[in-house]
Amino acid sequence: MSRVAWLLIVSAAGWFSLTAVAETYPAASVGARQLTIYSTTDTAVFEAAVRHFQRLNPGIAVQYEELESHVLYERFLEDLKHGKPRADLLLSSAMDLQVKLVNDGYAATHLSANARMLPEWARWRDQAFGFTFEPAVMVFNVNAFSGRTLPRTRSELIELVRRDPAAWRGRIGTYDIAGSSVGYLLASQDARQSSEFSALLETLGDAGVVIERRTSDLLARLEKGNLAIGYNLLGSYAQSRIAAGAPLAIVYPRDYTLVVTRTAVLPASAPNPDAAHRFLEYLVSIEGQRTLANEGGLPAIRNEASVQQTRGGITNAVVGPLRPVVLGPGLLVYLDQLKKRRFMNLWNGAIEPPK
Amino acid sequence: MKPRVLSLRARIAGMLGLLFLVGTLALLFAAQAYGRLAADKSYDRLLAGSALSIAETLSVDRGQLQVDLPYAALEMLSAAPDDRVFYRVIGPGPSTITGYDDLPGWQLPSGRDRRIALDEARFFDADYRGEPVRFAVLGREIAEPGMQGWVWVQVGHTRRARDELARELVLGAVAPITLMTLLAISVVMWGIARALRPLQRVGEDLTGRQPEDLQPVVEPVPLEIAPLIDAINGFMRRLAGNIEALRAFIGEAAHQMRTPLASLYAQAHVAADEDPEGLRRSIAAIERNAARLSRLLDQLLIDATVMHRSDVRAFEPCDLLDLVHEAINEGVPHARRRDVVISTELDQAPFVGDALMLGEALKNLIDNALKYGSTVDGSVLVSIRAEEGGYVVTVADRGPGIPESRQAKVFERFVRGDGVGSPGAGLGLAIVRRAIASHGGEVVLANREGGGLEVTLRLPWRAEGVES
Repeated sequence: MSRVAWLLIVSAAGWFSLTAVAETYPAASVGARQLTIYSTTDTAVFEAAVRHFQRLNPGIAVQYEELESHVLYERFLEDLKHGKPRADLLLSSAMDLQVKLVNDGYAATHLSANARMLPEWARWRDQAFGFTFEPAVMVFNVNAFSGRTLPRTRSELIELVRRDPAAWRGRIGTYDIAGSSVGYLLASQDARQSSEFSALLETLGDAGVVIERRTSDLLARLEKGNLAIGYNLLGSYAQSRIAAGAPLAIVYPRDYTLVVTRTAVLPASAPNPDAAHRFLEYLVSIEGQRTLANEGGLPAIRNEASVQQTRGGITNAVVGPLRPVVLGPGLLVYLDQLKKRRFMNLWNGAIEPPK
Repeated sequence: MKPRVLSLRARIAGMLGLLFLVGTLALLFAAQAYGRLAADKSYDRLLAGSALSIAETLSVDRGQLQVDLPYAALEMLSAAPDDRVFYRVIGPGPSTITGYDDLPGWQLPSGRDRRIALDEARFFDADYRGEPVRFAVLGREIAEPGMQGWVWVQVGHTRRARDELARELVLGAVAPITLMTLLAISVVMWGIARALRPLQRVGEDLTGRQPEDLQPVVEPVPLEIAPLIDAINGFMRRLAGNIEALRAFIGEAAHQMRTPLASLYAQAHVAADEDPEGLRRSIAAIERNAARLSRLLDQLLIDATVMHRSDVRAFEPCDLLDLVHEAINEGVPHARRRDVVISTELDQAPFVGDALMLGEALKNLIDNALKYGSTVDGSVLVSIRAEEGGYVVTVADRGPGIPESRQAKVFERFVRGDGVGSPGAGLGLAIVRRAIASHGGEVVLANREGGGLEVTLRLPWRAEGVES
């Protein structure tokens, strides 16, 4: 229960700054079915995919509701508790929360040849499906680094900051793990994977790391030069900005690069499961993957999509090992009440040292 | 032969099929039980390992129970990749410290061994959130200042991987055995066809033979059929012997008849030229020879009758004492009846047997006794008494007896005692022995003290199951 309580506090805290964006895409034909999607992805990123889907399925109206990941999780359960399930499909970058929904028995099974083509780590029980391939990268403002080499690994980053703490003070940014589920997921995976995590945490804390809930806020500040270093950001958004001419550089950490995937779960309680199955199938199909990559800038997890950014392309381009976060019960560990409290204490102790 | 072979094959196929069916069903149940057991065993180890790794992180910090859920605790369970995972830590007391607080509970062991039992992981199945789930429970006793009691770690996962493994085990066990059984049946059917082929050859051999060909069958046959072939060969050997004996008998009988006939012929021939005195002598000689021939023919007939009746064994109730009287009345001329003395304490001697055969045997014995034993002292003693097991009939005379060396020989056909000179075909004792033997009895010859022969017949009460 304490987990729920905690989440309520967090969501209450975020409530005021949060604007739950809901976009409605009416169907082309009359007497259409309504598909309601709860998603953590920016509406703008997904718009092209939704419209493409509607061209293929003219009888389906789409209600796309953009929510923060823990809000999405909470709202889904709230709907259910009140006996009014609304969501037909849940798309979230918080892989752990999606796994928890599946583990707790809220998901319906979706069987298809396309889904089978996903890599094994990106699907679980035929109920959770990762449909993008998103490395967590370090992003640098190249202007701030003129004449200096960019750090390639976490140790190099630690060394760089420690050598001249004053220069980097307040110029490093990362996710606020209390407000961003992806941030929490990535930080907890770092804690698990890296032997240097505590050193990194200490360094970030000493340097007065700036924390933000949203990737776009972090990237905006990086682009403006307020921030010089962004740690553990989703590369896809940065890539779009670079394509638009921002003075940013992306580094895939060579010691290891975490990869997360936006995860789709089809609730067993979906009011319109047929449309949901269609949309889910579209997301993992080659056409869907291609549209998401080309129009939304979300790298395709299926290599067959043959777009610029695919799993295979990124894997070949990156020097160090890629460590995809595996969809499965292991993700439940950092959702454990005590574990989470412990980790948050550790994080807060380092990032916000008591004054 | 043909339909028999077919039915043998069908019967074996039917029995094997039944055995196969029952065996496979039994195996299926056994394999299912075993498969579930084996699957549970291997995955239970995983569950216990997971629970243990959680239990090892238990600590008390400032009066608060701390659990640092290790990543491996849940990830190790992804050895069952598609199974949902549940866990919780309870205690001390009923409250859930962390994890799913609505997991199904379990029964604590009670009694003396409680503490020992609690230290090991225990397992149980329960339904949770719409699926059957296997749980492991591990207890740890906490005894810290400010906190005392038992803490429980409960870890569970759904049964998909277990059921899948069990299914694989069952299939792995049943499929090859089913295949093997089918193979075995076909091999057995082939083997039967092959094993029966020698019998068919033997049948063809016997069918193709000339009637007089009684050579043994030499076809090679399997060990199990050899006794049958041996029996056939033995039977044919005996048959050949019998036919040979019959031929010899016919030859001997013809020879025996030829002698008196030749004498008759010669005497008749001579008599034609004789004077009245010589003629009378010749006629007397012709009469003697005719009588001898007639007697020989009678004996041959009786011999044939006894042989036939000993095969048929038409046994009926009769009285041995009556038979003795009848034998004397029918077989002994009036003039000599007083020479025969009957000695018995019995009023009657009821018996089940062939009255005709027994009568002929007695007649022959009494006749012999009178004939050979009357040279010195005319009396013949016939005694009959009941003993344990049957009757003993003796016929004793005061004749010359039979030397022991020849006693065995006189039972053969056409062999006569040494006191020749009297007419006799040499069939008498052979007839006696056959008649008595067919009643399961025996004939014993003995020389009497003070001279003479005593023939003892032992006739057991029941004559069943005795070789004729």
